[in-house]
This record gives sequence, structure tokens and C-alpha cells, in this order.
Amino acid sequence: MPDQEIQATPKQEVAPETSEFTREGVYFSPAVDIYGTERELVILADMPGVSADNVEIDLRDDVLSIIGKTESEEEAGTALLTEYRKGNYFRSFRITELLDQSKISASMSDGVLRLVLPKVEKAVPRKIPISAG
Amino acid sequence: MFRWRMSRDPLWGEFDRLQRGMDELLGALSGARKPAWEPFWREARLFPLLNVVEAQDSFVVTAEIPGMKSEDLDIKVEGDTLTLKGERKPYDAGPDASYHRRERASGTFQRSLTLPRMVDPEKVKATYKEGVLTITLHKEPASGPKQITIVTE
Repeated sequence: MPDQEIQATPKQEVAPETSEFTREGVYFSPAVDIYGTERELVILADMPGVSADNVEIDLRDDVLSIIGKTESEEEAGTALLTEYRKGNYFRSFRITELLDQSKISASMSDGVLRLVLPKVEKAVPRKIPISAG
Repeated sequence: MFRWRMSRDPLWGEFDRLQRGMDELLGALSGARKPAWEPFWREARLFPLLNVVEAQDSFVVTAEIPGMKSEDLDIKVEGDTLTLKGERKPYDAGPDASYHRRERASGTFQRSLTLPRMVDPEKVKATYKEGVLTITLHKEPASGPKQITIVTE
């Protein structure tokens, strides 16, 4: 049985249906992994071609938005094969967890955005000792 | 932004994605869509997607493979064929992580691309930046009639 082989998925284009989307260019929805631990929520987003200073993260009204812009460089020559399109990235999520917004951190490496959203520390149930007397 | 989210039911988005994926695959297998040139169809493996641009003296092949380490990437050039092999390792989220969503693929891949001309294996340049792999291959000079200079002694 061979190792698991990756299948390519063509990029999903995001239709800018809202007027807030005044930026130019084509936007794709990045593939994401979202997982939670007890302490935090982590989002990993594939945004190849995006450098760290071209990432915008917005959190308001429980909606987290991720925007990644790519620099469009014109390739000199004739295109022989174009299996993927280049463009920007946009995705938004509804956040239902209580987050400590001041401690959100983000890092971008090799086209992968890693967003760490620490959860608000829940009150840990304690047993209250009762002293006799 | 809120309005945009409301109009896209996540269930249909998922189904749509699956449908499109199936259409793409069936199209590939039935050969319904003929590509710009043949080699793409020689391998049924479709990852990574490639763009190829031909310049005067070179071919530039680009692929978007975010989150790779260069030691997990293998590039071979032989004659007129470029082979890309690698493994995208899954991210280690730790033992107490529970996934809400998992879309980023991981696993092995291998893909060969035959170019319209022979390329010089000594002059291949590969860079990996921001998750984009760029391979520049120089064309072998076309072997045409050689002009012989006559030396008079």
C-alpha cells in the first residue's frame, strides 16, 4: 500500500459580494487547518506567495478575517502550461470561543500563516476545603 | 463581510468543492479537455499544480507548495524531463489538539514534466520562497549545422 499521496485541489475563488471588498484583484480561499487545545485555538492557512508584511488579520464582532496579498509579477515569456492561477487570499471565520484578543499572535513562514488565539482562561473548578471548628 | 458569510452555506461549499474536484478528475481521465501540451496527462498524479513559462533560453516552472522543508523536496532533471518528488509532512499539533477543520493536504507526491526541448542539467536553478518553488531550466543549445572555420597555415 503506497504512502498517502496528495491530490491537488484547484483554488476556490472567493466572490466579492460585499461592498467592503473594494480591493482590486482576484481572491482565493486558502486551505486551512483549525484545531483547538485547552488553552488556544490555532489556525494554519496556506497562502503561498504571501510575505509576512502582506498579511492582514482583522477580528471584530466575533468574525476573524484573514487577508493575504501577493505581489503580481509578470512572467516574461510564453505561458506553456497554467494549472493554477495567482491571486490574493481571503477567508473569514465566525469565532465562537472566548478569546484573549490581546494575546493573539501570528507568524508567516514558507507561505503558511499560523495564527494562535489564546482562549480566555476558564475558572478552574476547585474543591473548597471545609475546616471544622 | 458578514453578509458574504451568510450567503455561503458551508455545507454547499463543501459539496461544491467535492463536485468540482470530481469533474476535474473525470475530465482528466476522459481526456475531454486537451491541455496546452501532452505531458500533463502522462501522470495521473496531479500534485503539485504547475505553471510553465517559456523564455528565449529557458523554461521557468513554478509550483505552489507551502510549508515544505527543502530536505523533503527532491528535484531531478534528465534530458527533457523534470521530476519533482517530495513529502509534505503533517503539522504536529500535539496530543491534546482536536481538529475543527482539516483542509491542508499532507503526504507524498511525485510528478514528472516533459519539456519541449532538452535542458542543461548543469544549469538548473531552484528557489523556494514563501511556499513557491521556482525552477529555471536552461535549454540545451539547438544542435544545428556547425560553421567550421578554416585555418590557413
